[in-house]
Amino acid sequence: MLKSKTLLVFLAVVLVVAVPLTSFAQERMGAWVDDVVLVQESDPSTVIMKLLAGEIDSHATSMADPAAWEQIQQSPILDYSIVYGGSRELTFNPVGPVFPTTDKLNPFNVPRIREAMNWMIDRQYIVDEIMNGFAIPGVVPVPANHIDYSRHASVIRELELEYAYNPEQGSAVVQEEMVKLGATLVNGKWHYNNEPVVLIGVIRNDDERLEMGDYFSNILEDLGFTVDRQYKNMSEANPIWIFGDPADGAWHFYTGGWGSSVINRDSSVRPEQMYTTRLMSFSPLWLAYTPDPRLDELAQRLYNNDYQDMAERAQLWEELLPLTLQDSVRIWVTDSLEYIPRRTEMQVVSDLAAGIGGSQLWPYTLRRIGEVGGSVTLGLQQLLDGPWNPVGGSNSVYDQAAIRGTADRGIMYDPYTGLVHPQRIERAELYATKGLPISKSHDWITLEFVDSINVPGDAWAEWDAAEQRFITVAEKYPEGVTSWTKSVVYYPEELFETTWHDGSQFSIADILLFMILGSFDRAQEASSIYDASAISAYNSLMSYFKGVRIVSENPLVIETYVDSYALDAELAVNSWYPVGNLGTGPWHTLGLGIRAEAAKEVAFSRAKATEIDSEYLGMAYGPTVSILAKHLGEAAATGFIPYEKFLSQYISAEEIASRWSNLQAWYGSKGHFWVASGPLYLERAYPVEKQIHLRRYENYIDPAAKWDRFGVPMFAEAEIEGSTRVSIGAAAEYDVVITFNDQPYLVSDMDVVRYLVISSTGEIVVGGEATPEEDGLWTITLSADDTSKLNVGASTIEVIVTPKAIAIPTFVSMQVIATR
Amino acid sequence: MANELQPVHRTPNPLQSKQWSDTFRRIAKYSVQRLVVLFITVVIGLYITVLIANQGGYVDQIRKAQIRESVGQMMAVNPEVQRLTQSQIIDIQQREIALEEERLGLHLPFALRSVMYLQQAITLNLGNAEYMTSDSGSRRVRNIILERLAPTLVLFLTANLILFGSAILIALFLSRRYGSFLDRAVVALTPTSAAPSWFYGMFLILLFSALWRMMPFGGMVAAPPPSGIHYYFSVAKHLVLPIAAIFLGAIFQSVYSWRTFFLIYSSEDYVEMAKAKGMTSSMIERRYVLKPTLPTIITSFALTLIYAWQGQIILETVFNWPGLGRLLYQAIGFNDIPIVVGSTVIFAYLLAITVFLLDIIYALVDPRVKVGNGGARA
Repeated sequence: MLKSKTLLVFLAVVLVVAVPLTSFAQERMGAWVDDVVLVQESDPSTVIMKLLAGEIDSHATSMADPAAWEQIQQSPILDYSIVYGGSRELTFNPVGPVFPTTDKLNPFNVPRIREAMNWMIDRQYIVDEIMNGFAIPGVVPVPANHIDYSRHASVIRELELEYAYNPEQGSAVVQEEMVKLGATLVNGKWHYNNEPVVLIGVIRNDDERLEMGDYFSNILEDLGFTVDRQYKNMSEANPIWIFGDPADGAWHFYTGGWGSSVINRDSSVRPEQMYTTRLMSFSPLWLAYTPDPRLDELAQRLYNNDYQDMAERAQLWEELLPLTLQDSVRIWVTDSLEYIPRRTEMQVVSDLAAGIGGSQLWPYTLRRIGEVGGSVTLGLQQLLDGPWNPVGGSNSVYDQAAIRGTADRGIMYDPYTGLVHPQRIERAELYATKGLPISKSHDWITLEFVDSINVPGDAWAEWDAAEQRFITVAEKYPEGVTSWTKSVVYYPEELFETTWHDGSQFSIADILLFMILGSFDRAQEASSIYDASAISAYNSLMSYFKGVRIVSENPLVIETYVDSYALDAELAVNSWYPVGNLGTGPWHTLGLGIRAEAAKEVAFSRAKATEIDSEYLGMAYGPTVSILAKHLGEAAATGFIPYEKFLSQYISAEEIASRWSNLQAWYGSKGHFWVASGPLYLERAYPVEKQIHLRRYENYIDPAAKWDRFGVPMFAEAEIEGSTRVSIGAAAEYDVVITFNDQPYLVSDMDVVRYLVISSTGEIVVGGEATPEEDGLWTITLSADDTSKLNVGASTIEVIVTPKAIAIPTFVSMQVIATR
Repeated sequence: MANELQPVHRTPNPLQSKQWSDTFRRIAKYSVQRLVVLFITVVIGLYITVLIANQGGYVDQIRKAQIRESVGQMMAVNPEVQRLTQSQIIDIQQREIALEEERLGLHLPFALRSVMYLQQAITLNLGNAEYMTSDSGSRRVRNIILERLAPTLVLFLTANLILFGSAILIALFLSRRYGSFLDRAVVALTPTSAAPSWFYGMFLILLFSALWRMMPFGGMVAAPPPSGIHYYFSVAKHLVLPIAAIFLGAIFQSVYSWRTFFLIYSSEDYVEMAKAKGMTSSMIERRYVLKPTLPTIITSFALTLIYAWQGQIILETVFNWPGLGRLLYQAIGFNDIPIVVGSTVIFAYLLAITVFLLDIIYALVDPRVKVGNGGARA
């Protein structure tokens, strides 16, 4: 009896002690996995074979191979993520109607003929038969994964219906316009000046645009044109269509393609880039564009954010979009879809536009479901394309995938919406002058509109490379200066408890050095590392940058004043965390690069390396690592600080000693200088073997579960419920049931549910927003007036579901019979 | 006394001395002439390579167009450009285009640059690549090529040596058993060599990697690469399938051609005479078959060695092997002329040196061959 009591007491003690200990032990910090090995594999069929064999756990780059897709569909152990890729289009030569150099007719000079091509092509056929289903039809210059598509869904849908496949209409327009041009149809072939009208198509032969070009050529031949199909790869085609003078008549149409690797929240660049002469003015083709003056004006106003609010912006878009189709110097054909395969037991965030490799969250979320630790092998199409340095190093998307694994950041891109969330910063404030069309979506930022923003005199306005100091606003603008916006970022006190991978404690000097090196110093001739290739970016920055001010050093608070803004307040925040598009680094490793470039032994940029005939700086591997190692010895011996005159105010003697000692130990152990602060560190890169070994950084301060909520994109699934018959002139009601993973979609997670009612004649007769009733249920109410606009016959109710948590809207439709 | 041995003093034979002197002069003269001819051939070959690699200067247009397209893309995706005026945008475009064109030397006329390419090539100053870097990040063409040379040689030299040695031995064996079942089997299997080695590679991967999981799918080493001696074991394991693919892709044709070659020599009158004299077959093989065929065998062997350094594009791709074949393919794709020229110049020099050495070796191994004028020719 005593024994059993003792045993019970003992068990109770064990439970009391062990349970918290167990839960403590389960608090995994940093990455979920212990090791990540990146390997190169470019062949889709081999990727699938390796996935099936377990040799790789997930691929990180998107693919579009139909055979591989088939295998994924058939395999119970493979899963995939969808990625929204680029757009395919047909670009027309607008010169004419007769080419001045050849005297040949160019029908595509006539906007109506170009416009008619929209009716001639069956986009759904291209999607199904040529793109093997890996695309969605695209009619307007805004792809479906851009937020502006959702914002203007009604007008876009209207245009999609108006320009749907209608070869009779297209053919009639071509016939009419060709006659007007003086062409004659002889034995089914168009002739001009007694010669057949020959259209030269430059058809890209390096992807599915080959079949697309052939398809379009067949259509033109059916219309009576003679087509000279010239199949060319990118290198061969570029000198003709982008660099050649379109007046030479060397081509009439080109099968174009445009990439997109981010979820675009503001598509205003598209009309400006695609229909006006301004943004691509170096190309003779673009200079030949003569857009309608209203189209030209609208495109420019949208591009320059020249509007008072979002309502005015919407008006501009809605007026512009039909004009782009009437102009049609290029007609949009499809928006591509791709997939990234993985084994089913794997979980990792995949960016909707950039895939796994392009997602900033992949190192934080990669894991085997339900498993902690272990090793994961990721495949990438290519690896180690160029030297890694965060200032001007490799910008290869493949290298960047690995670099992202090692980097921490101030703010984190949302892989599904293109907005950002705080990562290392705590919160932010944005002050904007009244009238700017800015809105906010998240609670971590506040947005306040003010009459004007005066930049404080003690803010830093510019870097003086000769004096190694910042020029203050008071010095640069004695009369004072204002800015459009002011962002204030607040870092938590824990910022300075974070460490770099070599164990060095994060310091404000890391931020300041990255600021000086990344934004200012290299573009100034007085700098010891002056680089002419940095001037353009610097000029661009200085055109809107007004000042930056360190308000408080600990906790760190930074104000930034600029004459620029984004439509989303979240995207207007500048955290100044030392990470850029090309990577990250602390002041001491970057300082070695500065020393080595000043000694003309290496260069941060390729252009400078060519100029001084040196090696291009790679900090992770390669011949420059030994050069940096040489400088490490000297720097450690002399207590070197880059930009000493300025940075010495922020770096203590202990910090100098510990930094160089940590780096020496790091280099001794790892043999490279890629020191970052993310959840994974670079154990070693194997350049010839094309492998990268990343390991979990155990001192990372965030829990592994921090970003788990992004595990799966919240694609909405929608269904319209209601009567399939509607009486004209009588009210009707339809339910829209919206779910995610069979659970009701929360009203709070939904942006808007829009509906359109399309009559049997193909006209949109009613449109509006559905009313949320409860989570998962929205209602469409059609009044008697609404239904009276319908014709007898089959009408369609289309619903466009636009969630907040994902940029991709869901489309669902239902056919109803309208009766009297 | 009469029997006392006296040291023998050989008096130099003036005739023999003159013969040696003539021979030396003749060889020296021949060597110089041959080297000059080979050098001119190399120079012409290199200049043709420069012209072809640049498509007669048209590559300049391609590059200029590429520069403009990338600048256009850069401007389009940069939201900061949105705040600039039209003149600022044009200014940035022009600056970026000019900088890149200058970096690539496109501001100089092609004719001048073609001569510069040639001069650099001849002097083996391979310079820097224009776009690509070596796997380890170096811009030097020398490093780019050298880095891929080791994996290329490990694979192709090993495979070709195994192939060459096996083919010769099997062919000799079969030439002695003309008409046997084995001989007929090899003849029947010879058409299988019509399929390239990468084709066999794919099958081998399918069987040994995907189906039976016995061998790796490709690559040079396991992931992550093991350390120490295990690294070399891993490389050896990864070599098995590509070597097998090269071997299978060429062995039957190779054996068939060598066998036929040996058969021709085996049916010579002097071989029949040797047989009639009762000499052993191995002695006949060594003295009367192998010896006269030695120049051909050596030529084939030497060319095997230097061709091994070129790699094979598709096989390397199938096995994901970091070889020179793929490097050259990528360089052509990027129009990275220094790498294309660099790769060609090394091959051209290797080929020229090999041809020159073969001339000398022929004379050493075959008494019928004499270098220079005045000698008998085979």
